[in-house]
Amino acid sequence: MSARVRTDARLPLWLAGISPLVAVAALLVVFFTLDPIASLREVPPTEAIAVERTKFRPGEIELRLRNDGPDRVTVAQVLVNDAYWQSEMGDRTLDRLEARTLTVTYPWQEGLPVEVVLLTATGTTIVHEVEVATLTPEPDRRTVVVYALLGLYMGVAPVAIGLLWFGTIRRVSARSLGFFLAFTVGLLTFLLVDTVEEGVELAGRTAVSFDGLALFAIGALGAAIALSAIESSSGQTRSHGLVAAYLVAIGVGLHNLGEGLAVGSAIAVGELALGRTLVVGFALHNTTEGLAIVSPLGTIGLPRLWHLAALGAIAGAPTIVGAWVGGFVFHAAWATLAFGVAAGAIAQVIWTVAGTLPDRRALIRGLGGVGFMLGLGFMYATGLLTP
Amino acid sequence: MGGALLGRDALRGAAARPSAGGHVHTAGGFGPVGTVDHARNGFHPLDLLTDFDAGEVSKDASGRTVHSYTFTTVDREIEVAPGVFFPAWTYNRRVPGPTIRVTEGDRVRIDLVNASSHPHTLHFHGIHSAAMDGVPGAGEVGPGETFTYDFIAEPFGTHLYHCHSAPLVQHIHRGLYGAFIVDPPGGRPEANEMVMVLNGFDTNFDGENEVYAVNTVAFAYMNEPVVIEAGALQRVHVINVTEFDPVNSIHLHANFFDLYRTGTSLTPHELTDTVTMGQAERHMLEFTYRERGRFMFHAHQTEFVDLGWMSFFEVV
Repeated sequence: MSARVRTDARLPLWLAGISPLVAVAALLVVFFTLDPIASLREVPPTEAIAVERTKFRPGEIELRLRNDGPDRVTVAQVLVNDAYWQSEMGDRTLDRLEARTLTVTYPWQEGLPVEVVLLTATGTTIVHEVEVATLTPEPDRRTVVVYALLGLYMGVAPVAIGLLWFGTIRRVSARSLGFFLAFTVGLLTFLLVDTVEEGVELAGRTAVSFDGLALFAIGALGAAIALSAIESSSGQTRSHGLVAAYLVAIGVGLHNLGEGLAVGSAIAVGELALGRTLVVGFALHNTTEGLAIVSPLGTIGLPRLWHLAALGAIAGAPTIVGAWVGGFVFHAAWATLAFGVAAGAIAQVIWTVAGTLPDRRALIRGLGGVGFMLGLGFMYATGLLTP
Repeated sequence: MGGALLGRDALRGAAARPSAGGHVHTAGGFGPVGTVDHARNGFHPLDLLTDFDAGEVSKDASGRTVHSYTFTTVDREIEVAPGVFFPAWTYNRRVPGPTIRVTEGDRVRIDLVNASSHPHTLHFHGIHSAAMDGVPGAGEVGPGETFTYDFIAEPFGTHLYHCHSAPLVQHIHRGLYGAFIVDPPGGRPEANEMVMVLNGFDTNFDGENEVYAVNTVAFAYMNEPVVIEAGALQRVHVINVTEFDPVNSIHLHANFFDLYRTGTSLTPHELTDTVTMGQAERHMLEFTYRERGRFMFHAHQTEFVDLGWMSFFEVV
């Protein structure tokens, strides 16, 4: 027994640490060399391709394809609306996880559905349906400005307007302040549920290989840990209200990034009506978010004006970034990660804001309970405005 | 219809030919990318048109002409559209199988050798005994087995044969069929004769065809038009074996043809430019082009056109 302990001790620590890794690598080499599965029978390949992005240009459809299966896949032919059409892809074979752009020359018609079928070398078909074909906006000066304006209308301006409630918050009694804080927690809780729902849906649209749910979870946990670290490193009690306000602004900002993505990508795929409705709904929704940000400030005196400006920018400006990203470079996997980050941030912020209450039980009692439910209900009601 | 649909490049035909060693990149438009490697398939659709097989010809004791064949069923992959491979079941490694060409009253002897992994038969559309019907229980051979079909060819006409093992859809759709042409005893007027088997392939096995073709390869005669002579009589045996769709058809551009239904008459039934057929329906078409030029012929189910059943005659 003691002899073995001494032997271990003689191994350098780094060597002891990596030796299991070397062993498992050797194991895998043996596995792939002998390949016991192949001896069972000739297994037909499993072919899967994820279409990560679709662009419509005049007389042309461009698809970003990623091999989303375990095996190599060759795109032999492309059928558009049940007809063979010429296409350009360079090397038509995609290795696992490899991505390439396929360009199909096709006289698509504005406003009509399009079905693109990828016919692989083995005769498998991968169907990609577009509900409404419409010219994809390219990031030129005009579209960049339009998307920024959208972000302004639905994110920056409403949040800034909501911040005006600061004047009210400052003057209310401690008891009423508890009500507003509970209202904020209710509101953030709604955003959390909303963000999780959107994120999980997006995860389902992510290439299977990328495991969208795992991305979402990593984003969420990472954000929660990062925000907790920020909070505890600035943990004096006097400025806690201000720190809490900043954290709320960050959480709300990340959530608004997601809203920007939603509007940007809806408009990019031609759903203009949906885009418009989303803008109106989010604008009302986001005004309330301004109130959420200033509520924790009620416990401290008047902060400098630039603090208010910074809070507004942190909470509102990401909407613009989201609209750009959603409109021009939307990518389901990255978006899923972003939604995860937003969800984690909001969860952490809920915890923080609840901490600014004299007693966490105030959330479910009396005026606090009413505030909490009103926060949830108010967001639900304004949420009805968005489909 | 065709001109507007095809667009400028496909109309030039040759534009869709491959450049040496690489994929075809035309300026864009309708049609497949690249071409099929016919050498790898082991058969060329242009050759299949006129590849009539009389078998090994001899006389039996009664002085009757005997045509002897060996048909071997083989499972193999064939390229049915450029770059798209289909796990076919074949007679003698080709789809459609060999075109049997005999005269009414001749004796046909076929050794069916099963070198594939499923039971198969040879079921002829003709008049014969029950024992020679080529169905489960009469002439079906398991893997490694052999059966000899022996019957008198009648009546004269444009006929077909196919496998009749179960499940029938699989055995036909996978490629086990071919033309069985029986000439009238007195023969027919001199003509350039061709066989066109209308078929389709459900490459993803979802019960719908992804590929339609004449003689197996999608767009084959669009990429390489069938060259015929102006003023010369053309006789085409058209046989529909398309699975999954109720009908297929053939339409000739800028011309009309004499239609001999099932080829069982010496006089035409009808003058038309389009004929629609259910599965196993087949007809004999006769026509002559007066002028040179490139003329389309295709299914008039336009969906089939878009999916491969599009062809040209190059009249010279």
